[in-house]
Amino acid sequence: MTRVIEVPAHFDDRSFDAFAEGFGNWPPEEKLLFDARGAQWASPYGLIGILTAGQALAEAKREKPLLTVPISDEVKRYWARTGFFLQAAELFELHGKVPRAAATGPSDVLLDVTPVRATEDVHSVVDKISEGASRILHGELGLEMKATLRFSMALSEACQNIVEHAGTSGWVAVQAYTFRRRLGRRVVVIAVSDAGVGFRRSLESTHAKRFGERWGDGAALEAALIQGVSRFRDPGRGQGLAFIKRFLDQWEGKISIRSGTARLSIVPPWDEDVPLSDRLPHFPGSQVQIIIPAQQPERR
Amino acid sequence: MIQTIRIGHLLREAVAAPYRNLVTRPTGAAVRIRIEETLARSDCLTAMLDFSGIELVDLSCADEVVAKLLLAGRSAYFFVLQGLREDQHEAIDHVLTHHRLAVAAVPPGSREPRLLGWVPSDAREAFACVCDHGPLGAADLSRALGWLETRSRDALRELALHRLVRPDGELYYPLPTA
Repeated sequence: MTRVIEVPAHFDDRSFDAFAEGFGNWPPEEKLLFDARGAQWASPYGLIGILTAGQALAEAKREKPLLTVPISDEVKRYWARTGFFLQAAELFELHGKVPRAAATGPSDVLLDVTPVRATEDVHSVVDKISEGASRILHGELGLEMKATLRFSMALSEACQNIVEHAGTSGWVAVQAYTFRRRLGRRVVVIAVSDAGVGFRRSLESTHAKRFGERWGDGAALEAALIQGVSRFRDPGRGQGLAFIKRFLDQWEGKISIRSGTARLSIVPPWDEDVPLSDRLPHFPGSQVQIIIPAQQPERR
Repeated sequence: MIQTIRIGHLLREAVAAPYRNLVTRPTGAAVRIRIEETLARSDCLTAMLDFSGIELVDLSCADEVVAKLLLAGRSAYFFVLQGLREDQHEAIDHVLTHHRLAVAAVPPGSREPRLLGWVPSDAREAFACVCDHGPLGAADLSRALGWLETRSRDALRELALHRLVRPDGELYYPLPTA
């Protein structure tokens, strides 16, 4: 029997839970078919979410899933340009014609869908991003010049979380686009996802006791993002997320982390998300999204 | 005597690639170990860590390199940072403040050090005064800042504790910056 996992037509952090719900109990016993034929748009968070699911299935030694590619040529071309199909071909049996990614000039894709497996990958990601980041953050979004360094730091810290805590590899993608409905402004989005142990299991041995019965995915996210705790005893640990949170606050940016069955967000005034969503459909590993909006003229 | 240590050079040795970004904990730890090895072979008490040619210092490396050197070297060495641009101060300042540590940093093209990290406000003022006037005792500092002598003594001792000035008898010397 094959279970069909519907890829939402508009696939981003808000439709992610519907995608996660499609798997039922994790890991599903049946062969899976990821149906992306109706996809009209996907954020970097959505794209690397698909890859994370594929990776988690491979690690659970499940049969290689099928992925039907979007019907829309425009969508297919865009997914190809982000490098998605290149990575997906390793994890899925692709069905449908996949266009070759055309070499283009400066683009809204600041960082292709890129695997993060080891420390060297983090170096390579930070190296790749620096030039494009300055062009978009300073040139388009109106952020101060030092924003580029902060942005690269955030990217570095988010990717290092995979290498240091996930226990497996993951993915990162960075893209600029316009939030028409939510904000009406340009944004840069960093999406980082892994199929690893998740925040709860990573922090359990060192922090669960303190939370008692409250301990769960939500409490673990709260401990990491709000209290800055780490599974390491080293007092220098746990500063990365605190630092990201501080500068996002200055720029009215947003960070949200989904892990297991919970999602915790630092919600800026322009967004209507709730700070903590619990009892969500389970999804393996951890998914981080950082959104930095264009600054309004009076803030520049 | 000052031992100048070029961080960019150690970074390239550590990662065996021409990277200009000092990022990730393993890389930071590898660079720190090389600094410690260099210092172990040297007679110098002051180490000038030269960040010229480094593009980005992330929090992990700020912690692994600068904070851990300061924590480990409290009794042995004086550290001064140089070649850091203004926009590169943030990660180091954030990490050192977290640990309640501080270090002197000399901006490119300047000999005037500034403090990164955390010291009490009196110590910060005293640091600027010592850098400005040269070696000072508690009485000199009191005259310069209009403080009671006990206040000056406490501020200078705090700076000495953070290894931001070099005490010699009754006087506190600014760290050499060139």
